[in-house]
Amino acid sequence: MYSDLFHALPDVFAWTNFAAVVIGVIAGIVVGAMPGLSATMAISVLVPFTFGLEPLVALGLMAGIYNGAMYGGAIPAVLLRIPGTPAAVATTFDGYPMAQKGEGGFALQVAVVSSSIGGIASAFALMLLAPPLSKVTLLFGPSEVFWVAVFGLASIIFLLGGNPVKGLISACFGVFVSVIGSDPIYGNDRFTFGQLEMLDGINIVILLVGLYALPPVIDLLETPLKTDGVNSSKLGTEPIWKALPRMNYWKTWLRGSLLGIWIGILPGAGGSMAAFMSYNEARRTSKHPEKWGEGEPEGVAAAEVANNADTASALIPALTLGIPGTAVAAVMLGGLLVHGLQPGPMLFRDNPDIVFGFMWQFLFGAILLVLLGGSLATNSFARLLNLPRPLLGSVIIVLMLIGVYSIHGRMFDVYLMLGFGAIGWVMDRLKFPLPPVVLGLILGGFAEENLRLALRIGRGDPMVLFQNTTSLILVALTVAVVVGPTLKKRFIDRREKA
Amino acid sequence: MKTPLTALALALMATAAVAEYPEKPVEVVVGYSAGGGTDVMARTVAQFLERELGDGASVVVKNMPGAGGQIGFTEVSEAAPDGYTLGTFNLPAALALTKDRAADYDVDSFTYLANFVEDPNTITVAATSPFQTLDELIDAAKADPGAITLGLSSLGGNDHFAANMMQDASGAEFTLVPFKGASNARTAIMGGHVAAGTMTLGQTSNFPDDLRVLALLANERSPFRPDVPTAKELGYDVQMSSLRGIVAPAGLDDATTDQLRAALSAVNENPDFQAMMAEQGNPIAFKVGGDFAAIAAEQDGIAAQIWAETPWK
Repeated sequence: MYSDLFHALPDVFAWTNFAAVVIGVIAGIVVGAMPGLSATMAISVLVPFTFGLEPLVALGLMAGIYNGAMYGGAIPAVLLRIPGTPAAVATTFDGYPMAQKGEGGFALQVAVVSSSIGGIASAFALMLLAPPLSKVTLLFGPSEVFWVAVFGLASIIFLLGGNPVKGLISACFGVFVSVIGSDPIYGNDRFTFGQLEMLDGINIVILLVGLYALPPVIDLLETPLKTDGVNSSKLGTEPIWKALPRMNYWKTWLRGSLLGIWIGILPGAGGSMAAFMSYNEARRTSKHPEKWGEGEPEGVAAAEVANNADTASALIPALTLGIPGTAVAAVMLGGLLVHGLQPGPMLFRDNPDIVFGFMWQFLFGAILLVLLGGSLATNSFARLLNLPRPLLGSVIIVLMLIGVYSIHGRMFDVYLMLGFGAIGWVMDRLKFPLPPVVLGLILGGFAEENLRLALRIGRGDPMVLFQNTTSLILVALTVAVVVGPTLKKRFIDRREKA
Repeated sequence: MKTPLTALALALMATAAVAEYPEKPVEVVVGYSAGGGTDVMARTVAQFLERELGDGASVVVKNMPGAGGQIGFTEVSEAAPDGYTLGTFNLPAALALTKDRAADYDVDSFTYLANFVEDPNTITVAATSPFQTLDELIDAAKADPGAITLGLSSLGGNDHFAANMMQDASGAEFTLVPFKGASNARTAIMGGHVAAGTMTLGQTSNFPDDLRVLALLANERSPFRPDVPTAKELGYDVQMSSLRGIVAPAGLDDATTDQLRAALSAVNENPDFQAMMAEQGNPIAFKVGGDFAAIAAEQDGIAAQIWAETPWK
């Protein structure tokens, strides 16, 4: 089962493939360090440009960007208290106080080492879990896939931190978008307004670029140089190998990694969720929780290890079942499909060198993070915050337009993307969360198609949905996700009363 | 004397025109994404067609995916018939979709140049299936009408027509389950989520250990799988396949049509081309000109009949 893993190794070291990972990591850190620009955005803007590349070059870039951006988000989080990516919010809690105390350099070093450890753990999880899981994916027929999708939709509840009503509206909008196009069984047109271009439904990359890239770019252009005056001389920068012995967070790293991996596997939740949970758990079990929030390096470690630990593991359901659990995984899956790589058990059998090579690239991306992000360049990356924003915004807009046009070679998609961008901007202003839209689009489509296939197989009898163990386990998990938080809250309330 | 002279002048001009074609790149429109079966065929043909057209001719593949190929087919039908826009043509899909929706073209909108590939449909079950022969499967379907599920890649395609024709020929009733694409259908068959399927032989070829092909829906056994009987041998006269060829817009002048048909025939005769197609697992059934047009008309009739009897949407 694992021999293919080692067989794939030589290809990963072909210089083009390796260079792709290096460039990806650097580009990821740069993008992640820009407040507002997330890993999802970077990958979705870049994915159309990778269509012409060799698969491992394209995938290496994506793996590198993902790993890099998850750390890059920590740079402005620590230095400016502006999370560079949504997943870096928890990093600000202790990272910024550290920077104020003049320990910004050490905070970034903790962040980069923790990120790297999380990424490495996640890559190992992908390597160990995906091959055996791919063997059982034949068990997943339409009714099982339907329940996986429902489970994912239910776990969006995780994401609804602030305002559940707004979150649900976002998710419903996503599900509505999934309905556009010809229906999956009979091929009747739905909401296409006679446009042939809409018959195949809305391409996820077009939606992602619109929703995730346009609003932050508009923000970027609206708010020129507010707090960007970083004095990098303030960063206490001793060499990273001297800083390493001061980092003794093994328990936090282990717990954060496991949490991040688990949350990555679950369809629905993502990096920011993992970072918050890891931070809270680490604080709860700490010997001196009162110091947290005032510059406790372990807090930075907890957040950063977890938000990198979900990167590779999010690909486990994507590669084995073809169900991407996060927006980034969905885009990467799109990248695989472009190269004719169909997810599922066949992928592991027919293209082992590519799929296992991709896993190695995740591992090396995570290792490179320490070398590239930590030892030589943290200071230079901090200077990125001084880049002129209008220039940056214009470059991104051009990349967006070219990228979206090149997916199918038609202007219609560009207009569609701009339309979604406008919707995304309004939603952003009204504080509607965006991730549920994406998950609604991905999982809503899966749920509808597979429900209808299952019912057809069962000749209309809904009992077909509950006929085997796999389905029943998934139903139980779904119920647990929906009811769990309420029960827990009630339990805690009762205990507090007592 | 005037008429023969004019004729001569015209003939000379025509020859000059032929000698000049192609004076700019020839575009082959593919209605599907890059990397799919049709795209790979188009790129292989394009590569050899360039050589046959000679004089540094350039043949460019342009992917216009969407709407089940409809965007690409429409583009070709509406292009100027000057020989600079050709397109891949998939039967029966390209004509079937003119039945179930308002399409801007029909069977007469094209100049049929040459068909290259014919991939016959099959009746296939999982290797773990209890059904060892086609008759066992059909008997089970007759014993409990609708209890046997057949996985298809979509409605309104060759998989669907094959299933319909099999039902008509055998009198059995199946429950048709249209998946989203051939690979999803194949996975469901392999996992036993549907009892059987009608995918093409080419789509089964990489999975000899996981799938059992019960019958081939063709006139003759395939050289790729000589062990698989035809449905006809087993007493069910059903033929259905997926065809891929090259067309031009209707109204292409005779000289260019003949030149292109000759060039495509030369492509087909090239042993290197044959070797490449075999390597891609593409069974060649070369039909040029009128023969290709006749197949298109026949497929159009089958699609129209099935649409009239059992509309699928």
